[in-house]
Amino acid sequence: MLLYNVRLAWKSVQRYPVLSALILLGIALGVGVSTTFITAYHVLARDPVPGKSDSLYYVRMNSWGRGDSPFRQDPPPLITYRDALELLKSRIPVRSTATFSSQATIFPRDGVRPFRDGVRLVTADFFPMFAVPFRYGGPWSREADARPESVAVISSALNDRLFGGANSVGRAIRLEGHDLRVVGVLGPWRPRVRAFGLMGNPLRAPEPVFIPLQLAGPMSFQPSEMQMNWRTPQPGEEALPYASQLMVNEALFLGFWAELPDAGKVREYKSFIDAYVSEQKKLGRFPNPPQNRVTSLLDLMEEERVVPPQTKALAAISLLFLVVSALNLIGLFLGKFLARASNVGVRRALGASRWTIFVQHLVECELMGLAGGFLGVLLSVAGLAILNRVYGDGPDGVAFFQLDVPMVFAAVALSLLAGTIAGLYPAWRICAVPPARHLKSQ
Amino acid sequence: MPMLKMQNVSKIYRTGLVETRALREFSLEVEAGEFVTITGPSGSGKTTFLNVSGLLDAFEEGTYTLDGLDVSRLSDREMSRVRNEKIGFIFQGFNLLPDLDVFDNIDVPLRYRRLPARERKERIEKAVAMVGLSSRLRHLPAQLSGGQQQRVAIARVLAGDPRLILADEPTGNLDSAMAREIMEILEQVNEAGTTIVMVTHNPEHAARAHRQLHIADGRLFDFERIAPFPLNKPQTAAALVAG
Repeated sequence: MLLYNVRLAWKSVQRYPVLSALILLGIALGVGVSTTFITAYHVLARDPVPGKSDSLYYVRMNSWGRGDSPFRQDPPPLITYRDALELLKSRIPVRSTATFSSQATIFPRDGVRPFRDGVRLVTADFFPMFAVPFRYGGPWSREADARPESVAVISSALNDRLFGGANSVGRAIRLEGHDLRVVGVLGPWRPRVRAFGLMGNPLRAPEPVFIPLQLAGPMSFQPSEMQMNWRTPQPGEEALPYASQLMVNEALFLGFWAELPDAGKVREYKSFIDAYVSEQKKLGRFPNPPQNRVTSLLDLMEEERVVPPQTKALAAISLLFLVVSALNLIGLFLGKFLARASNVGVRRALGASRWTIFVQHLVECELMGLAGGFLGVLLSVAGLAILNRVYGDGPDGVAFFQLDVPMVFAAVALSLLAGTIAGLYPAWRICAVPPARHLKSQ
Repeated sequence: MPMLKMQNVSKIYRTGLVETRALREFSLEVEAGEFVTITGPSGSGKTTFLNVSGLLDAFEEGTYTLDGLDVSRLSDREMSRVRNEKIGFIFQGFNLLPDLDVFDNIDVPLRYRRLPARERKERIEKAVAMVGLSSRLRHLPAQLSGGQQQRVAIARVLAGDPRLILADEPTGNLDSAMAREIMEILEQVNEAGTTIVMVTHNPEHAARAHRQLHIADGRLFDFERIAPFPLNKPQTAAALVAG
């Protein structure tokens, strides 16, 4: 019976082509707009590290200096280099990493002009913690972190640029006058939200070069994103080598992440942080009340408002737009159905029950909804292309906002919803028409 | 057992404060296999009677038994099933669905009966052959003459093999030659055992039935048996189609 109803719906479209086109357009607009904005929300709000987010925790400690303003009662969002190195020694987390972003001049071979680009300083654990995909090679070892070795992991786009896309593992890149051995080349990777960089701009593409954190001193890397200094340099400190300055300085510029597999480990790690802060207090640091925080990735995203409230509002408004579009189509469907009330009278006389008539017309509405939804998805692809022009593609040419399978299913659901909203009342009205009333008028 | 039995049936139409009694204490029995014609002036209640008989309209008072089934308390679904399986309608305006060709028009009641495709096809081809329209199966109603359209409507009824045919002025829109053809087909169907109740304004056609009834002001106040009514015939149109 479903196929029969589909056939009848198609005949109805052929009988009223203009009216049907208007209905399609209405649904397409509604579905297109709502799918575009819901996709934008979905892209920003979805789990940035599927399967790992639950075990990734961000560490904050109240390391502000004494006598600071009430504004500084909360712990700063970043930690110092010396604290990061201490926390990295703990074996409670399965993995841990401290990270910051910097800029460097990259010197290509063969006379190509040097260029500046982003560099992220991390430890070896960073790559498995944030599920970073590799095309060639892999991350460096923990031993390479400790020494530190002059190694680097580069993005596939940079690999294309420097090595023509060939496997460059073992080859050298020149960075700020230092030669670094490539140990890994990333696969296509454009996380919509940079979980590891929530305190900077989380929507930016990842940096194309990753090097060991402890090269920061020898290579004199300075943070290029957020940095907070509260301590005035003591006499003579400016003359110290940069690595030594990093150790004595209270500059806050590192994000610290720990991978903690269960609640027990989280509690244990929190105690470890508390103990570390108590110990530092005895040494004269951390003068303020301790406000140590070990926050899960998803909670931190909520806290930092990674998904702008405007995006949520736009998604809600676009849904409302779909509902209004569908409500406006009620009149068109009603007109279309009532125009053939006499046919319905005939069908009732021939044995169709009210329910049969209702289903026949609702199937027509849902098919119109699905067809309009298909057009709406095409509109949505165009809408997302416009958004991508604003946000820009990732370094690997992967569009920032893309319709994924769940969003296509959502678009289908929205289409069916629009069909139901627009068609429920007209289908009910037409099935409630007394059959005898229209038989004579046929 | 009568095919159709109404006792004191009343039908009232209400429009605001105005009440119109379309049927008043209407009582009638039609035997299985009978051919009954109903005449009466416009607005007398003929069509209302057919609508109530065909379960297309409700009634307020009285009892109505169709083929031994008390239909006054049936649900919409049950009434639809009775209409589909026991009753065939023939209308003055043919009431074919304009978007569907001849085959699909005849197919409609069979679809609602959920018959398998092969059986539907067989029934349709036999019924169309019976009314002489086998070559027009893929024509749309608009491509047929009035007489041909009415024959399609009759084929639609025959394919469904109903126990009772309700015909509302089936020759009203046809010229006299076509009207005669239609009457001959109906008589053949009746001879095969199907009960027919036909509303007509044509006295000649009315006189061809076994019994002629007259309605005025919603009352059945005059009737006359015209011809002896043989009761030992097959009871369905299927016998005719098969024969």
